Amino acid sequence: METEKDKHLPEKSGSSASRDAEQDNHDQQDPDPNPKLNPDKDHHHQNNATDNSELPTETKPKQESTEEAENKEEETITENIEESPPPPPPPDLGKVSEEIDQFIHALSSIKDQESDLPEVPDVVEQFAFLSEEKVANYDSIESPVKWNQLSEEDSLSFLEVVDRLSKLTASLTVFSSESKYASSINRMGGVLQRAMSYLEDEFRKLLEDPKFPDFDHGNDLKSSNSNQEVDQPTSDAQESNSTVDNNFPGYYEDVVSDLNRLVKVMMTGGFETECYQVYLVSRRHLLEETLHRLGFEKFSIDDVQKMQWEPLEREIDSWNKTFKQCVTVHLTGERKLSEAVFFDYPSITDGLFSSLSRGIMIQLLNFAEAVAMTKRSSEKLFKFLDIYETLRDVIPSMDDLFPKEMVNELKTEASLTRTRLGEAMVCIFCELENAIKADTGKTTVPGGAVHPLTRYTMNYLKYASEYKDSLEQIFKEHQNMERADSTTESDNDYGNNNAQAVGNNQNAVKLSLFAMQINKVMELLDTNLETKSKLYKDIALSSIFMMNNGRYILQKIKGSPEINTLMGSTWSRKRSSDLRNYHKTYQRETWGRLLNCLTHEGLNVNGKVVKPVLKERFKSFNAMFDEIHKMQSMWVVSDEQLQSELRVSISAVVIPAYRSFLARFSQTFTPGRQTEKYVKYQPEDIETHIDELFDGNATPTGKRRP
Amino acid sequence: MPATDNQGSFLNRISIRRNQVVSMDVNHEQELEDLELFQKHVVDRFSDLLTPQPPPPTAADSSPDSALMPADTLLSIAWFRKLLDAFLCCEAEFKAVLIMGRDPTQFAKPPLDRLIPELLDRTVKALDVCNAITHGVELVCHWQKLAQIGVKALEQRPIGEGHVRRAKKALNTLLTSMTFDDKENNSHGGKSTERSWSFGRRGGGASVNKDRTAGTFRSLSWTVAKSWSASKQIQAMSSNLVAPRGGEPTGLALPVYIMSTVLVFVMWALVAAIPCQERTGLATHFPVPRQLVWAQAMIGLQEKIGEEWKKKEKKGTCGLLEEIQRMEKVSQSLVDFADNFQFPAEAEKVEEVAAQVTELAEICQKMDELVPLQQQVREVFHRIVRSRAEVLDVLDQVGKMSTPVLY
Repeated sequence: METEKDKHLPEKSGSSASRDAEQDNHDQQDPDPNPKLNPDKDHHHQNNATDNSELPTETKPKQESTEEAENKEEETITENIEESPPPPPPPDLGKVSEEIDQFIHALSSIKDQESDLPEVPDVVEQFAFLSEEKVANYDSIESPVKWNQLSEEDSLSFLEVVDRLSKLTASLTVFSSESKYASSINRMGGVLQRAMSYLEDEFRKLLEDPKFPDFDHGNDLKSSNSNQEVDQPTSDAQESNSTVDNNFPGYYEDVVSDLNRLVKVMMTGGFETECYQVYLVSRRHLLEETLHRLGFEKFSIDDVQKMQWEPLEREIDSWNKTFKQCVTVHLTGERKLSEAVFFDYPSITDGLFSSLSRGIMIQLLNFAEAVAMTKRSSEKLFKFLDIYETLRDVIPSMDDLFPKEMVNELKTEASLTRTRLGEAMVCIFCELENAIKADTGKTTVPGGAVHPLTRYTMNYLKYASEYKDSLEQIFKEHQNMERADSTTESDNDYGNNNAQAVGNNQNAVKLSLFAMQINKVMELLDTNLETKSKLYKDIALSSIFMMNNGRYILQKIKGSPEINTLMGSTWSRKRSSDLRNYHKTYQRETWGRLLNCLTHEGLNVNGKVVKPVLKERFKSFNAMFDEIHKMQSMWVVSDEQLQSELRVSISAVVIPAYRSFLARFSQTFTPGRQTEKYVKYQPEDIETHIDELFDGNATPTGKRRP
Repeated sequence: MPATDNQGSFLNRISIRRNQVVSMDVNHEQELEDLELFQKHVVDRFSDLLTPQPPPPTAADSSPDSALMPADTLLSIAWFRKLLDAFLCCEAEFKAVLIMGRDPTQFAKPPLDRLIPELLDRTVKALDVCNAITHGVELVCHWQKLAQIGVKALEQRPIGEGHVRRAKKALNTLLTSMTFDDKENNSHGGKSTERSWSFGRRGGGASVNKDRTAGTFRSLSWTVAKSWSASKQIQAMSSNLVAPRGGEPTGLALPVYIMSTVLVFVMWALVAAIPCQERTGLATHFPVPRQLVWAQAMIGLQEKIGEEWKKKEKKGTCGLLEEIQRMEKVSQSLVDFADNFQFPAEAEKVEEVAAQVTELAEICQKMDELVPLQQQVREVFHRIVRSRAEVLDVLDQVGKMSTPVLY
């Protein structure tokens, strides 16, 4: 008992001992049952204190040891007597507060510092005592009062006390040179510091306990179509009740107003730096944590360079989502939150939000930058485009989000990253060009089928043209002209051809840079295919190869409105006529020779059929047709329409000629054996065989029709 | 000499050169001249960084009269700003030497075919260092704010217990943060472990700290990436740094080597001075042949910084930045004052504290320069990125990098 009392005395006398030492002891041993108050009891206590002015000694709701408390208070008084005029037993807080307010008013109305300053009234010490006790109750080591469990009334009354402490301290400090105020200033300052320190902690705890409603249910954050749904709520969310800002780890409305009140009190007490830093550090951690939850992982730029493309692709997807969400949901929410919490201090919000978001934004942009720096290769185009578009779409919204001082910096950062991506993508097209040029394999595709390079290039271009608008923009903004020049120079053969072709084809229609790029790629592909076609020794097969590839290209282009527009109708017409030419060449090469067997020339001598010649003709026709059938049914025309066009046109040429030849000459042979020997095919058979061409069958298996 | 002047006249030269028809002879002559000039400028700039020596080499130990030190004391913020300026200038000249008017096919031939990719790899690592430093500077700004709380509290008169406790809390948080093991600080998402550090004044019976006003330690996180290590990156950047053999005409190998050395040196100095993820085992020097004229000043700087690092390495993560070192010292001394404080303070004590508070305030004021420093680091970052892209463009022209598509 004795030691406990001894410990408590200095606390109440206030000015005698080091607060820290006292507090340490207090913390460890906690002799006073008072701090064990739980919030409910405390509530009770408040009511007593403020309402029952007749019961001043009841300020401590202690069931078990009121006596002890009284003793202590007496001792306090006696102790004080030794030092200074004795304060009467502490009256109730309400009354004291009133008097303190009067004193504050009195101090503030003193204009001339030289004039007589009032003595410090006893009520100041009473107030110090009462408020210190209150703070100690809340700030007890063993069971500190949790702010979020306080009733509104209690928290307000506590804040009122602290606010009064601040004001009193400030009023006294105006006359800090006045030695008679010194000890009071010290006394009040000590209580105030402890109160603020407690509030700072509570402020932090409130901040560190946000609601993560949707994260915990994990809904739709990982699904790809969630962006819309996720973005929606914030855009029309103005009020900050709990259903809004779904994915923003904010706080319930009452917590926000708690935070706001704490801010006000801390600001008034001159503790704005603490307030600011606590807020900054807590929110920064939460923001980082949120990014992590969203699936954004930090990689060093070095790591990104070394990553395999596939895992990196996944990270890019997750970045895209994170970045959009971060700006539209999280930073927007963050801004609103800081505006709500620091409602009365708009000048602070800007700085606070800037410090909070700058690092995060730069971190996010760094990833995009790192991706843009990876080795350029054609398959990366589409992911680059995704990032590019995300940046492009987000940059304009920055104006509303970030404070003026920072918006330019961040926009510049984002634009730089975007430029890097743009430049990288332009280079990727050069890579594509180089890749096409470098594709100089000597092996032919069996059967004259579509070359894989054609498929690759066309699918690539088709897919790319789905991003037509972006790519138009990219080539316009990021194609380094110097570079474009040098490329054209070094690639004279392509460059000039291309320029001419484009000029002729489009009749001075100004092509976009991207369209020119596509045209250039197409030219390169054509050139390459022509070279490849020459690898076939058979001109007919080489024509089939060109037709197959040409047809494939044309179909791809017609199948995609974007690329079709890019290439223009003139181009398509030209391609179609090229195809017809190949068709003609093929017809001539293959079937022209066959038809030569069916000419009447040289068969009639003086009105009589020369039978041996006729026999020879039939024999060679049969042999030639067999050979063609054998060969060309191994050839490949996979485009059904082209296949049927070819068959139809072959039939149209061959069958009538054969039919009439047969009609004219078949009776020359004696029916039976001779006819059978020379007339191997009926016109129907020819047709059937023609229909078996271009099936790509290695072993022609005869009739397939029912 | 102001950096911009150099650059201006230099850019002029480039544009003139680009307009002339480059004959082989002119080209070669120009090459030699550029190289010589480049070396000379490196020497000038680094000598300049070395010369304004602080009175004795032990700058950090002489705190009382530290206010009298020249503005750009070694390892001060002002010095780093100068260093980064020097870097940017060297880099601009280097790029001109390397790229402008060059025959790009040189890049595909030895020794450049090996040196260029190595250089590019080094620059990527330098970018990560820049980012780590950016984070580190943010942390230092946070320290600055904490110190400002201390200043503000202890500037009050009369100094009361409340002021002292307030200052002590902030400065203790500051000192804890300075000596805190960065590995724990960086454990990502480890909210629970971080929580345990937010003990404030009520750390629970077990951890009876020496002081309840130890403050709440929860600092800014500043990770670059999981398991990223500044010292390892510096190590990797310098490991394949080999001076070209003398005797043979080295051509572009020499400027590449010089620039790489400058790059590594700058990044190393930043890492040593500013809080940075994982610095344990940071090399105290990297080998630069002593006989190289252009390297003398840099070797001198390296030795001084290396010495400092050896002295301070074991003492937490705060870094060698002159302002940080002083801040730590003054803060510690103010905390000591707070520990023994009794109201009313003796006039003598008050005077003593006032001097320290003034010093701390002055350090805080100097730290305002951190913001421009951070911007400069970012400028370095962007410059490196851009130069890298330009070098890649040249490589593209050589066509060496193009490979057939895989279909």
